[in-house]
Formats: sequence, structure tokens, C-alpha cells
Amino acid sequence: MDLFTAVNLLRCSILLFITSASLALILLKWHKLCNIVSNIICITASIFGISGSLIQLLAGGEKILIAAIKPAIPILSFDIVLDRLSAFFVLGLCVLVLCVSIYSIGYVSHYYGKRNVGLFNFLYSTFILSMFLVMTAGNAVFFFIAWEAMAVLSYYLVVFESEQVEKQRAGTLYIIMTHLGTALLMIAFMMMYSYTGSFDLAGSSAAIPASARNILFLLFLIGFGVKAGVIPVHIWLPYAHPAAPGNVSALMSGIMIKTAVYGLLRFVLVYLGVENTWWGVTILVVGMASAVLGVAYAFVEKNIKKLLAYSSIENIGIIFMGLGIAFIAFSQKNGTIGALALAASLFHTFNHTLFKGGLFLGAGSIHYSTHTINMEQLGGLIKKMPVTAVFMLGGALSISAIVPFNGFASEWLTLQSIFGSILPGNAALNILAILSVAALAIAGALAAATFVKLFGISFLGLGRTEQADHAKEVPAVMNVGTGVLIVLCLILGLFPMLFLKLTDKLVVELAGQSIIGQLKGPFLFAGYLEQATGNAISPFMIFVALIVVILGVLLVLRLVGGKYIERKYGTWDCGFEALNSRMQYTATGFSKPVEIVFRMLFRPSRELKVEGEHLYHPESMDYKVSTEPIFEKYIYAPVLQLVQAVSKKTKYAIQTGSVHRYLMYIFVAVLVLLLYNRIA
Amino acid sequence: MEGYNEILSVLILLTSFVLMANKRVKSYIRTFRLQSALIALTAGIMGIRSVINEGSYDVLVICIIIVVLKVIYIPNLLHKTFASVEYKVEKDFYFNIPLLILICCGLVVFTYFSISRVAGISEGEINSAVVNSVSLVLIGLFFMICRKKAIGQIVGFLVIENGLFVTAMFSTNGMPFIVDMGIFIDIITAVLIMGIIVFKINDEFDSIDINKLKNLRG
Repeated sequence: MDLFTAVNLLRCSILLFITSASLALILLKWHKLCNIVSNIICITASIFGISGSLIQLLAGGEKILIAAIKPAIPILSFDIVLDRLSAFFVLGLCVLVLCVSIYSIGYVSHYYGKRNVGLFNFLYSTFILSMFLVMTAGNAVFFFIAWEAMAVLSYYLVVFESEQVEKQRAGTLYIIMTHLGTALLMIAFMMMYSYTGSFDLAGSSAAIPASARNILFLLFLIGFGVKAGVIPVHIWLPYAHPAAPGNVSALMSGIMIKTAVYGLLRFVLVYLGVENTWWGVTILVVGMASAVLGVAYAFVEKNIKKLLAYSSIENIGIIFMGLGIAFIAFSQKNGTIGALALAASLFHTFNHTLFKGGLFLGAGSIHYSTHTINMEQLGGLIKKMPVTAVFMLGGALSISAIVPFNGFASEWLTLQSIFGSILPGNAALNILAILSVAALAIAGALAAATFVKLFGISFLGLGRTEQADHAKEVPAVMNVGTGVLIVLCLILGLFPMLFLKLTDKLVVELAGQSIIGQLKGPFLFAGYLEQATGNAISPFMIFVALIVVILGVLLVLRLVGGKYIERKYGTWDCGFEALNSRMQYTATGFSKPVEIVFRMLFRPSRELKVEGEHLYHPESMDYKVSTEPIFEKYIYAPVLQLVQAVSKKTKYAIQTGSVHRYLMYIFVAVLVLLLYNRIA
Repeated sequence: MEGYNEILSVLILLTSFVLMANKRVKSYIRTFRLQSALIALTAGIMGIRSVINEGSYDVLVICIIIVVLKVIYIPNLLHKTFASVEYKVEKDFYFNIPLLILICCGLVVFTYFSISRVAGISEGEINSAVVNSVSLVLIGLFFMICRKKAIGQIVGFLVIENGLFVTAMFSTNGMPFIVDMGIFIDIITAVLIMGIIVFKINDEFDSIDINKLKNLRG
């Protein structure tokens, strides 16, 4: 009798999440107790989840049935099934939940006595549970129910601080956009059922004709794309993620948008099977647009959480680029490249969960101690909050794909797979691949600049406001939560082979080929230098080389230059000695050059207000720069205006307020349906 | 005794024509009572047959509930409601009665035309009992459309429900017991709520002419 099987562990995990949710409601009145109990149960549950999914990823068989609930409705079955693909995403979810729950023990304390902590923890636990069920649903209807539950619960979390008007608006935009996507998914599931007669996700899609497959693909792409926040259906993301409380935005950005990646893999790759090249091309182009535009918008943002949200769009774009290359390769029957690109995409998915989770937690810490996330009001935090600063720096390095961290490994793998997909023949695809290399490169460069700005403006220099000057380091539990994520980033960055070994069986299952043997470089340790070829790279070796070079240079300087004398004084003040925070580089100033270079995209407008009589000695100057949201202005606003105009006209023609008229509509509809039934 | 359900279904359909021809609100309620009594009779006959053939008392219980609920309780309730709102004798319908009757005939023909092909109901020969009871649903809906006063809408709604019930009876010898019970509870709630709303409308507009509800439009 073996108790610690994957099935038992995951059953425990699910039950514990349910317990956490119900205890949160029972302990509603004792805020502190409720928060601590609920989060500790979530931590335990996620440890069970991590171990269960690890067992399934490494050792498990095809798939396991965690629970099967058979309701009275005939075609429905609420099966909770865990195969390797599900296990991979459950692993990501549970790792993030583990850290976020540790963090929440400290973070939620600022709600004590002010807000309904019990309700918050109930929503938090059920939101996690709904994501868990999305990833393990074995039936399309069950998937749909979990998906909707996830959307609604996250909506309530977004509007948790509901007295603020902008949070309400963010929530409304979010719920409208996510329902648009859900509507498309519903159509897709119904099409699935009408052709195959089954909602079972493990079933065969052989009965679906080719034309319907194409429509299904588009429905899935847009439906899941809305949740993933790819451009041009991204507009909810930069509003909703910042509006949520810090720990929730880490969950939303870290794992909720990844459920869309899961959906695409599950429904398009596993269920439908990739046959057409244009599917991959579409995903690749969408990914390229999201990667470049997402990071471009992130760069000009001044609000830290909004910046991180735009950066999530960029990273989803990179994941989609990997998926696109994989899908193209699968349709061309090129298994090796497909496997490589798929592994890269999965790797980046996991990495983004880690570092974006960490960065959002860090942003939450900043908000916790300064009550603002506007960079223009921060500055100098590295001296007040050194631990948070170190972790934010680690996250920033990861996300900018700088060497010892994991962002580099996955982006490098993505680049490798794109280069690998350039094969003799097919010129159009090759040009696309070259363009996507360029897109990835520019996205990487802008991402680095973005995070230089984020870190430099908010952590370095002098504090710009009172709040920044009086910031205090956050409680240790919060730093533990953030820290675990960033340390994981570092470990995966130094030893990327760990991850590739972990997902090897999954990649084999999806792509039919293992990539570990194909990788020529010394990924794991630095001992295999002789195998290195031109394409190979070892982050660990680079890291070691970096340290050696830095130490070497210091040593040489010391030897050549002799002993140096240290003086402490204000840098670059030319003896003026009265530098204040207003003389610093601002966030707006930092992004100005890029804004000018890309003014096609940003369409910046500036406004300078001078008060006072003298031009050179004004009493006050007010300078405002704003960029034009082109997607809102040129795509969404016209559609919205059209809908409003039409509904204003039809409002009084259709909705007359007469009960008889309404009954008449029903009557006519019934008659038409009866007639249709007779004729068809 | 085989043809009894056709005869009864025609009689029930006829009551709906009578209802359409009624001019006074009081006679709506009376006709509804008659119709429900006929339905109870149908259910009673079916119930006795099912007791003899299968030993199941479900349909008989439902018959008793119909008598209590639709023949006695709801009509009385409607009488009471109507008695306590302001009473004005005025034309309660938009078109004249002969035209309404003709339209109802048209509805029956239309139902015959559209139902005749439905698989499972009419294999080979047309199940006229089902045609009649589906017509009852449509006539009930039409009755709601052509009456102005709120009591007319309530009676129309109840006729629709009667139609659905007899359709189920004639096509499959009745729905599962639990489903029927659920529907009855719905009906009671709906009628109670509608009764209250009639009072509210009367209070607000000094009349129960639902056309006045147009004024509520924003």
C-alpha cells in the first residue's frame, strides 16, 4: 500500500484548497488567524501538488484519473484527469502558489481590520482551485465551467478594492473582454460536440472535417488569445493586472494567462493535431506583434505594475513565437525543430511564471511600504528596502535575459529553434523566421532598457517623495516568498538542463522526439567543454567566466594602479553640494529618446504650462507627456461607437416597453421555430 | 375506451376557444377552471389505468394535486385578486372576437402542419391529441398578447402551462413525478407573485391595464 502516489497527493491538494476556502469563511471574524490558517493550508496544498505533479512528470504513465464525478446529465462527466501536459502546468501553478501564499501571510496584514480578509482568502483559494481544475479537466464542459469560474473569481479579486472608480472600470473591461473570448470558446466546444458527439478531451477528433478544423483553430486562437492578452486583444491586461492586490496580480500574470497557453496546447496540438502551416504562421505573427509592441508600451509606462503587465504581453508573445515555430515545424513534419521550439516555449512559460511572479510580488512589497507604485514618486528604495531591491534586481535580470538567470536560457533556446527552422527551400517561411529573430532581438533589447528604467528610477538615486523617504523593509515572510521565486530563477538559469530533463517525457509525448540528445552544448555543468560547438552555450560557464574576468580586472588594477584612496562625496555635484531629488533623471525623461524614435507607434503629445511672467524665471512649470493608445483609439473606439449608435436607434424601436410587444416577439419566435422544424 | 384521449384533448382545446371568446375577466377564470377540471379528468383516467396496468399511483396523485391547485385554489385566488382591484368595464382586447377565433383556428392548422413531421410523436398516423395540446400552448400565448388587463396575462400563462402538461401527458403518459411536482411549485409561486404585482400595478396606475407599463421606460 503506497500512500504517496500522484493520485493521492493531488487528491489531498484539491481537498486542502477546498478546506482553505471554507476555513477562510468560517474564520471570517478573526482576520489575522483566518489569513494565517488559510495561507498555511494553501502552502501545504501546493507542496502536495508540486510533489504529485513531479511524480507524474518524471515517472508517471500516460495519465491518471484523480476523481470522476458522474452527474445525472448524460453527456457530462466531471473527470479530473492528470496527464503530463496537465502535470507541467499544475507544477507551475503550485510552485507559484507556494511562494505567493508565503508572501500573502505578510502582505494581507495591511487589510486587517479594514477589509473582509475572510472573503479575500476565500476568493484567493477558490481562484487557485479553479485554475487547478482548468488544467486537469477531462471534459470540455467541465473545462468551460472551470474556465468561467476562473474568470469570475479573478474579476472579484480585481475589483476587491471596489470603492476606487478606476478599479471598477478595469474590472468591467476585464470581464467584458474575457467573456468575448469565452463566447468563442463556447462556439468551438459546441462545434467539437456536433462533429464528434463527445465532449471528452481525450477523444479523437478524426470526425472533424478540414474546413471545420480551420474554423476551430481560429476560435481557439482568439478565445484563448484574449485570456493570454496577445495583441490586439490585450487591452484589458494593462488595467486589470495592476488593479488587483499584489499577490493576486502575481497569480494572474504568473499563471492565469498561462492557462491560455495550456488551452492552445491541449486543444490545438493534442486534440486537433497540427496539419496546416498557416496555423503556426498565424501564432508566430501574433507572438511577434505582442512581443515587440508589448515591451514598447512597457517602456514608456510609469506605473510599475502596469509596466509589468505590458511586459507580460511581451513574454506571452515570446511564448507564442516558440509555439508558432513548433506548430510550423510539426506541420512540415520536422520533429526535431518542433520538439526544440516546444521545449523552449514550455521553458519560457515556466520561467515567466517564476520571474513575473517574483516581480509582481516585489511591486506588491513596494506598494506595501510606500503606498504608491508610480515610479515618479519613488527613488532611493535600495537603501530603505535592500532585500526587496536585491530580489527585484534578480527578477529584472531574469526577465531581461541576462546570463546567470533563467530568462536567458529559454530565450536562447527559442532563438536556437528559430535559427534551426531556417532550412533550404521555402523562402517565405525563412524570411518570416529571420524577421522573428529580429523581433525577438529588439524585444530583448527594449526589455533590458525597460527594467533598467524600472530598477534605476525606483531603487537608485534619491527619494522623490516623503513616502519613498520613509519606506521600511517589508516583513520577512514577504521577502521569503519573493526570494524563493528569484532563487529558483537563478537555479534554472545556471542549470537549465534540470528543467529540460524534467519536461523531457512531456516533450516526447507531444512532439514524438527527445531533444536532450540533440543539444550539443554543456548545459548542466561546465565539465563537457570538448563537446561545445558554435551554437552551444553554457550559462554556468559564462557566469564563471564573468566572475573570473571581474576578479581578474580588479586584481590587475590593484597590481598596476597600486593602492587607491577612497573619498566619499556627492557624485557629479561639481562642488555644489545641494543636489536634490528634483535634479534626477525621471522615468518620463528616461523613456523620451525611445519615444521619439518610435513616434510612429506612440504618437506622443506634450503639453508645457508655464506660469509666471518671465520665460526664464517662471513661477512654476508643468510638463506633461502622453502617448496615444492606438489600439483603443483605432480599433475599439470605432466599434464601440458603432454599437452605441445602433443600440440608441434600436432601443426605442425594439424595446418599446410594451409587454404585448415582448410577448409578440416570443410568439413569433415560437412559430418560426415550429415552421423551421417542419421545413428542415 | 381507447379513443378517450382524443375526445378529451378536443374538449380541452374547445375550452381554450371559449376562453378566447370570453369578454369579461370573471368568465376567463371560470373557463380556466373548466379547462383544469377537464385536464384533471384526463389525468384521473390515465392514473386509474396506470394503477391497473403498472400499479403506480403517481399520476393519480398528480390528478388530485391538479384538482386542489388549478380547479380550486388558483381560480379562487384570481377571483379574490380581481375583486380587490378597481373594476372598470371596458374593452379588454385589441381585435374583435370573431377575428381572434379565426386566428386561433389558423394556429391549430399551423400546429397540425408543423407537428405532423416530428419523429417519435407521429409515426405513420398523426397523434391528434398532441396536436391539440400544442395548439393549446400557442393559443395561451396568443391570449396573453391580445388581452390588455393583467389578469388576462396570468390566465394566459396558466393556459400555456396547462398545454405543456397535457402535451407531456398525451405524448409520454406524463413526465416523471418529481418534474411535475417541481412545475406545480413553480406555478404556485408564479401566480402568487403575479397576484402581488397586479396589486402594485393597480396602486401605481389606478388600473391593471398593462399598456400603462410603457410609462416605466427609461
